[in-house]
Amino acid sequence: MSSVGESSSISDFSIKELGTLFAAKKLSPVEVLDTYLARISEIDPKLHAFITVTEDVAKAAARSSEARHLKGAGLGPFDGIPFALKDNIETRGVRSTSHSKLLIDNVPSEDAHVASKLSGAGGVLLGKTATFEFALGGPSWDLPFPPALNPWNLKHLPGGSSSGSGSAVAARLVPAAIGTDTGGSVRWPAAVCGIAGLKPTYGRISRRGVHPNTFSLDHCGTMTRTVADCAIMLGAVAGYDPRDPGSIEVDVPDYAGALSGSIKGLRLGLVRHWYGETAAPEVVAAVDAAIGKLKELGASVEEIELAPLGDYIDAKTTISLSELYAIHEKDLKVRPGDFGKLLRTRVIAGGLIRAEDYVQAMRWRTELATQMLGEFRRFDLLATAGWLRPAEPADPAAPDFFKQRQIITMPFSLAGIPALSVLCGFSSGGLPLALQIAGRPFDEATVLRAGDAYQRATDWHTRKPPVA
Amino acid sequence: MDRSPASREDIMAVARVAGLDLEGKYLDELIEAYRTIEPMLLRIRQGRPRADEPAHTFDPRKFLPRD
Repeated sequence: MSSVGESSSISDFSIKELGTLFAAKKLSPVEVLDTYLARISEIDPKLHAFITVTEDVAKAAARSSEARHLKGAGLGPFDGIPFALKDNIETRGVRSTSHSKLLIDNVPSEDAHVASKLSGAGGVLLGKTATFEFALGGPSWDLPFPPALNPWNLKHLPGGSSSGSGSAVAARLVPAAIGTDTGGSVRWPAAVCGIAGLKPTYGRISRRGVHPNTFSLDHCGTMTRTVADCAIMLGAVAGYDPRDPGSIEVDVPDYAGALSGSIKGLRLGLVRHWYGETAAPEVVAAVDAAIGKLKELGASVEEIELAPLGDYIDAKTTISLSELYAIHEKDLKVRPGDFGKLLRTRVIAGGLIRAEDYVQAMRWRTELATQMLGEFRRFDLLATAGWLRPAEPADPAAPDFFKQRQIITMPFSLAGIPALSVLCGFSSGGLPLALQIAGRPFDEATVLRAGDAYQRATDWHTRKPPVA
Repeated sequence: MDRSPASREDIMAVARVAGLDLEGKYLDELIEAYRTIEPMLLRIRQGRPRADEPAHTFDPRKFLPRD
C-alpha cells in the first residue's frame, strides 16, 4: 500500500477517513499502527495514559487487517482501526488491573464482550488505559501506576474514571477507546479532554468481562475525537449479549448512517438550572453559546426544570456505595491497605448503609427516572453542561472534589438514557469545555445526529492539544 | 425519625455488627467516611408510597443455562 502523508497527519485522520483510505488501499493498518506506537513511545511518558501497550498483539492484528484490505475483504468501517480499552476491561492474555494493586497480576483467560466485538470487527488493540482504582472516584496517588494527565495542560487532570482513555484519544495516541461510565466516567473525561464521549442506554453494550463498579448503573461507552467516529465505534460494539444479565435485546440501527447533518425541527429541553448558577462562568457561556448554535441549526429550545442535581447524586451515591461495598467487602476487611486510600475511604462507609436505605434509593431512582423520561413527551433531546468546571489541577493535596457534590453527569446515569459529551469551547486557560446531550432510551441515533450536526457547524474538535 | 448525627460510639457499634472490626487509622477513616455520607442517608430516609417499586427488575430468563 502506498503511504499517505506524514506521521502527524496520519494521527489526525478520523476513523471514517482511515476506513476510506484502507478500503482504497492508499494506507495500510500496519503503517497507521506504527505511527501510533511511535507517538505513544514519545508522548505517553508525559501523560501516563497507558498502563499496558500491546505492541505484539497489535502488530499481528494490523497485519491480518492489511491482508484483508489488500484482498478487498475488509470487515467494515472498524477494520484496521487501533483502539484502547480501559484497564477494568478484561483482555485474554493481557494484564487487566483496574489500576489496582489487588489485580496487579490478573491476566484473564477470556476477552470481555466489548473487546471481542472490536477485535471481531477487525480493530487493533493498542493497549490498556489508566483509570481510577476500580473505576471509582480518584485520582489516587498511592496506586501501582501514576494517574493519567491532561494533554491540554500537563498540570491538570483528564477527569475520570476513564482518565487514560480520554487523555490518549485527545493526545492522538489512539483514535478510539472504550471507557466505562457509572456516574459519568466516560462523559467527564470526554468533557475535560475535549473529545466526544457517549454513554449509551443501559443494556446497549454488554458489560460482561468488565470489573463491576455498580451493577445497576454500569455502562460501557465510546470515546473518540468526533461524534461521527463515536457512531462508527458504537455500531461495532452495540448488541445483545445473553451472558450479561443487564443486556437488552433491541435491534442495532445504522448509527453512522443516521448522521444526516440536519437537526431541523428537533425539540430540545434545556436543563439550565443544573449549571446556570453553579458552573464556572466560562462553562455557562460556552454551553449557552452551543445551545444558540443548535437553535441556528433549526432545533427549538425550551428551558425546563427537573429535580435538583443533589437528588440524583443522593440516590446514585447510596446505590453505588452499597453495591461497591458488597463487591469489595472481603478485601476491605482482610487487606484494606492494598486499596488506595481514596477508594478505601469512599467505599468502606458502604458497609454501614442499611438494606432499607438501598431499597429506598432504588425507589427514588424509579421516581427520578420516571419524571425525566416524562419530558420526552414534549422533547426529542435534553441538554445541559458536560461538566461544571474546566479540568481540575493535578494536585495530590487537593481536597476530594466528590464531596462538593456537583456531578452533572449523574442524572442521565440514573435514568439509564443515552448521553453524549461534545466539546463546545475552551477556557481562557486553554482547557476544553463541553455540552451534554441526552435522548430517549435506545435513541442513540438522534443524540449522535445532534452532536454531529453541531460539530459540522463548528471547529472546536479540530484543535490539537499542545502535547500532540 | 431520628435525624441527629451518629456519635463515634454509634458508628463503631454498627461497624462491629457489620463485621468491620477495624482499628487505628482504618477506624478513623471509617468514622470520617460515614460522617460524609450520613446527611445523604438522612435525606434518603423519607416516606414513600407502599406500592413504589424499586428500579430493580429480575428477568429469570437471563439466568437459564447456556449449554
